[in-house]
Amino acid sequence: MELLVAQNVGFAYGQALVLRDVNLVLRAGEVVALLGPNGSGKSTLIRSLLGQLPAQGSIAWDGKPIAKWSRRQLARQVAYMPQSPAWEAEQTVADVLRLGRTPYLGAFGLESTRDLSVISEVANLLKLSDLLDRRLDTLSGGQRQRAILGRCLAQEPRAMLLDEPGTHLDLRHQVDLGNLLRIFARKRNLGVLMASHELNLAGQLADRLILLSQGAVVADGPPEQVLKPELLSSVYELPMRQISQDGQVYVMPVIDRVTTDSHPSA
Amino acid sequence: MIGTGCWAVVAAACLLVGSTGKLGWVEIQYRLENVLLASLVGAALGSAGAVYQAILRNPLADPYLLGVSSGASLLAFVWRLPFAAVLSTSLLVAAGQQAFSFGGALISVGIALLMATRRGRLEPITLLLVGVIINAINGAIFLLLYALFPQLAAGSGSALNFLIGGIQTNLTHGQEGLSAALVGSGWIVMMYLTGQLNAASLSEAEAQAMGVQIHRVRWIALIVASIVTAAAVAISGPIGFIGLICPHLVRLVVGSDQRRLIPAATAFGAALLACADAITRLLSRQDLINTVLPVGVLTALLGGPFFLYLLWRSRRPTA
Repeated sequence: MELLVAQNVGFAYGQALVLRDVNLVLRAGEVVALLGPNGSGKSTLIRSLLGQLPAQGSIAWDGKPIAKWSRRQLARQVAYMPQSPAWEAEQTVADVLRLGRTPYLGAFGLESTRDLSVISEVANLLKLSDLLDRRLDTLSGGQRQRAILGRCLAQEPRAMLLDEPGTHLDLRHQVDLGNLLRIFARKRNLGVLMASHELNLAGQLADRLILLSQGAVVADGPPEQVLKPELLSSVYELPMRQISQDGQVYVMPVIDRVTTDSHPSA
Repeated sequence: MIGTGCWAVVAAACLLVGSTGKLGWVEIQYRLENVLLASLVGAALGSAGAVYQAILRNPLADPYLLGVSSGASLLAFVWRLPFAAVLSTSLLVAAGQQAFSFGGALISVGIALLMATRRGRLEPITLLLVGVIINAINGAIFLLLYALFPQLAAGSGSALNFLIGGIQTNLTHGQEGLSAALVGSGWIVMMYLTGQLNAASLSEAEAQAMGVQIHRVRWIALIVASIVTAAAVAISGPIGFIGLICPHLVRLVVGSDQRRLIPAATAFGAALLACADAITRLLSRQDLINTVLPVGVLTALLGGPFFLYLLWRSRRPTA
């Protein structure tokens, strides 16, 4: 089932064209990774899909054009996690999870019993129940990221858009986060679209990869179709090599150590 | 609920403090008016302070940042000038000085908000800077007028009152009622917004993705909090530090959720200022001081060191 259909999406900051004729589909239950070098338009695309930038073309959530969604309705449909989520030291994990219920709160911020049960369910799911009263500044980076992920899940969304969620995490926590997203996609039929720089992690965790270059989609398909050295070399302007093992493909840059060591500025 | 109960206990204690024998009806009425007025001003400053700190994402923000107090002080003094007296007797007999100071507060805030707006969006950092400048300009004009018309500086509702702040006892019931109505209705609007105010702790993109029109919430909350502050300043002058201290202390107990923070800061502000006012009256009654000390002196003496403590603590690395 198609949750999101974007057609010919374009956007420019002034004269600088950032997105060009982007076509994208996100289905329920799939994890899609958005790849591309810095400045290729990943973050701009995500914010356009959320209706936060006045992009051209057509963007429809659940078959309904984005302009017809109210902010509150859309927040119940799709959750967003930025690269560096904002948090305050004094906030507790419970405060963060409660924030996720904002699109459902009544006047005067009153919570319903449903709000409370969702918060408790999300806390259990992410193993945050014992941390509910802990302040965010006393948590590790991985725990904090899980709390923010919990905030997104508390929105009870049908899709999640994540902008480089693993940026500040070590390898182990990046894998944990990716696994969690995959589990949610499968068990809750959630559509997940995440921007990432980690080509190999994305290749292992995502069902589909979309490669952006200079604001345009240059590849969209399963990992083995996108993680091709010739394609990535031209996009990243770097020689790349592919390694296949146990039916999985991996890519890595080819670094010429001799040339690097003899560089005049070395 | 708990906050209201605590305030009621403190207010009752303030009512009785310093009495040596049986209180007469006139004395009770006088004390009751003092306690209620101090509570009203404290509640207004406590709640507005919490809203300012949430919207500006700055723990050191206080309700006077946008020039509310300096604007109110300036026009309250202007009201006493000879030419303004003509205006006030013909047009504003009922409201008088209170209306002038309320107008001054709103004009200052209006200028600050206009100057800090870019394409309909409020920029919190610019707003803080503009507020500082407006306060400085208002202060300079105030001191200039004070130097030019020194004979107008004495008496109740005097320049001193509007420079430091004190609970005035020369107000009509109409003036008191008007301020109470403004503070009360503003407080209801602030409470209505509490769920969305929590999202002000997020980035703009995250708040929008949470379904909150953060620019609209910022505008409404700042305007309402400024009106509430202006209504308080119009009857008491600028009583310092209540709007800064109360949200901070209360946050330590109830946390940073605005739905609990704002009502708690309201109750604590009311209790704290009623207490401070009772102490100043007690000091004058015990012949420790020859005159009734403006309560603003006491709050500044307590609040100043607390402000420095906050600064010092914020510079310490967290564990």
